[in-house]
Amino acid sequence: MPDDAKSSPRGGGFQFKVRGPRDFYGGLVLIALAIVAIWASGDLPGQAGFAFGPGTAPRMFATLLAIFGALVALTGLFMDGPPIEKYALKGPAYVVGAIVLFALLIRGASLDYIGVPVQLPALGLVPSTFIAFMVSIMGSSEMRWIESLLAAVAMTIFCVVLFVYLLQLPFQLWPWV
Amino acid sequence: MTDLFANLWLGFSVAAHPYNIGFCLLGALVGTLVGVLPGIGTVATVAMLLPITFGLPPVGALIMLAGIYYGAQYGGSTTSVLVNIPGEATSVVTCLDGHQMARQGRAGAALSIAAIASFFAGCVATVLVAALGAPLTSVALLFGPAEYFALMVLGLIFAVVLAKGSVLKAMAMILTGLLLSMIGSDLETGAGRMTFDLPELSDGIGFANVAMGVFGFAEIIRNLEISQESRDIVQSKIKGLMPTRQDLVDASGAIARGTILGSLLGILPGGGAVVASFAAYTFEKRVSKHPERFGTGVIEGVAAPEAANNAAAQTSFIPLLTLGIPPNAVMALMVGAMTIHGIIPGPQVMTKQPELFWGMIASMWLGNLMLVIINLPLVGVWVSLLRVPYRLLYPSIIVFCCIGIYSINNSPTDVVIAAMFGLFGYWLIKHDFEPAPLVLAFVLGPLMEENLRRAMLIARGDATVFVTRPISAGLILVALVLLVIAALPMIRKRRDEVFVE
Repeated sequence: MPDDAKSSPRGGGFQFKVRGPRDFYGGLVLIALAIVAIWASGDLPGQAGFAFGPGTAPRMFATLLAIFGALVALTGLFMDGPPIEKYALKGPAYVVGAIVLFALLIRGASLDYIGVPVQLPALGLVPSTFIAFMVSIMGSSEMRWIESLLAAVAMTIFCVVLFVYLLQLPFQLWPWV
Repeated sequence: MTDLFANLWLGFSVAAHPYNIGFCLLGALVGTLVGVLPGIGTVATVAMLLPITFGLPPVGALIMLAGIYYGAQYGGSTTSVLVNIPGEATSVVTCLDGHQMARQGRAGAALSIAAIASFFAGCVATVLVAALGAPLTSVALLFGPAEYFALMVLGLIFAVVLAKGSVLKAMAMILTGLLLSMIGSDLETGAGRMTFDLPELSDGIGFANVAMGVFGFAEIIRNLEISQESRDIVQSKIKGLMPTRQDLVDASGAIARGTILGSLLGILPGGGAVVASFAAYTFEKRVSKHPERFGTGVIEGVAAPEAANNAAAQTSFIPLLTLGIPPNAVMALMVGAMTIHGIIPGPQVMTKQPELFWGMIASMWLGNLMLVIINLPLVGVWVSLLRVPYRLLYPSIIVFCCIGIYSINNSPTDVVIAAMFGLFGYWLIKHDFEPAPLVLAFVLGPLMEENLRRAMLIARGDATVFVTRPISAGLILVALVLLVIAALPMIRKRRDEVFVE
């Protein structure tokens, strides 16, 4: 793969081949992050007399981040590096989906502010844990139904015993209690 | 000297309390368990179990978290030897010779040498922590805001120098961490900073959410990509746990050198157990009369890194307990745990809460003793744990983390934030960015900003204060020298070699 980058034909004009895409795009994202931070802290008062204002440090560090992001991107532009690995979709989608579902179901939530007029009920710890387990296990390509259901039940019992009975944390267990 | 003994006595009386022994044992067991299981790192575990300790009394909570940390160093070596899978990053080098020994039928000797080396290192490190605690604390009392700021800069630079990969990228991660730590209300004026007018962000992002996201969830997402090939477990019965006299003689020098090296690297900020084990192995190879035999199952190759990682795991408590500065990501989590219990880490811990300080130190020794006693007979149990397939393990970790994060503040938003940091962490892995410096900077951020602002205010806005006060100037100078050295291409190459090996 690096061979390909080295012998890359310079096409017409200023076509430039990115030699280390991992660094290059990584750096670009960091620059974007820094710009967002500078913009978001723009309304904060800065230095007043000898004292730092609340906005001084965020802008200072954001500017530094932009500089370092640019340096990282530049190394990616000029130095050979490995190509970007493919992003998996299935694993992250199920894992994140499971976590978000847990967050939405444990106390119930209104989806109004993403524009969906749905009110999710508060299911409590037991169903939320079970559902989160089942959704996350679907991210694996080796998932088997019976085994998964058994494991989900076992894990739910374990968590209830640990968090509710042993650690005595206040949890709503079921939708109706 | 009599003070030291009086203090240690106090410590042991605290640590020997049945409750605390229980917490210590529990922590050590959980740590070993996690150390054995590949795919869950120490940082992730400590992050995962953080919420569980909130209900405990502070001493018990910290004793347990410490137990998890050094327990994981033990557990990691077990799988390295038996399965050639390092359970922890700290025992990657233990695989090289440890697994070869197991193949030659000497798994028992390798495991017991690893345990003995760890125990010896643990004892030395405990004494070191106790002995260095008091003098360092008095040094810390001389520190003003400028010195504290400089010290934290030094700590972060150490993290950069010792992170693997590019120095630039590690610096960028530090800055990202600092920036993230500034989200939320300003300490002095209460103004909401970078909150995008979301009320959920007005208190800032919880530390546990970040840690669990980038270490826990991101690792899981990452592991799902790698197909889980069957593991080649050494099936034969482990016979002869005890090493021979010759083994002990061969290993003794390596244990001593590993302990010294590990203790030193543990104290340095940014270092910690991983670097210590690599360095000890490399060093041992260099001083050996027969370096070519390393990698074929020599006992020194097991003893040195195991002693080093355990020593470093413990001495890394020194900067935390005396200066209040976490030298690595696990210690950063300890800061999180202490703050939640209302303890501000730093020199005042020792004077104001001596039973906490000395109790923790004494518990380290007790914990190490317990590990030797419980670990060797339980080897079979730990190995059978490896047969739990990852496809069942990871959903369990996920729901466990979800409940844990939720229970900290009863806040579903925190759970969602952790999920987003999971995605962010996955992106970081894809672009070869190290999350550890980010988390360290995230913890140090508020402290750093506070001291920076105070120092500037005291100096009437004169930024030269950091180079005119001698201690601060010295610390900054060391930081600069380190940075230059790390950036020099020649040394970079050497450094990479160490990590490759």
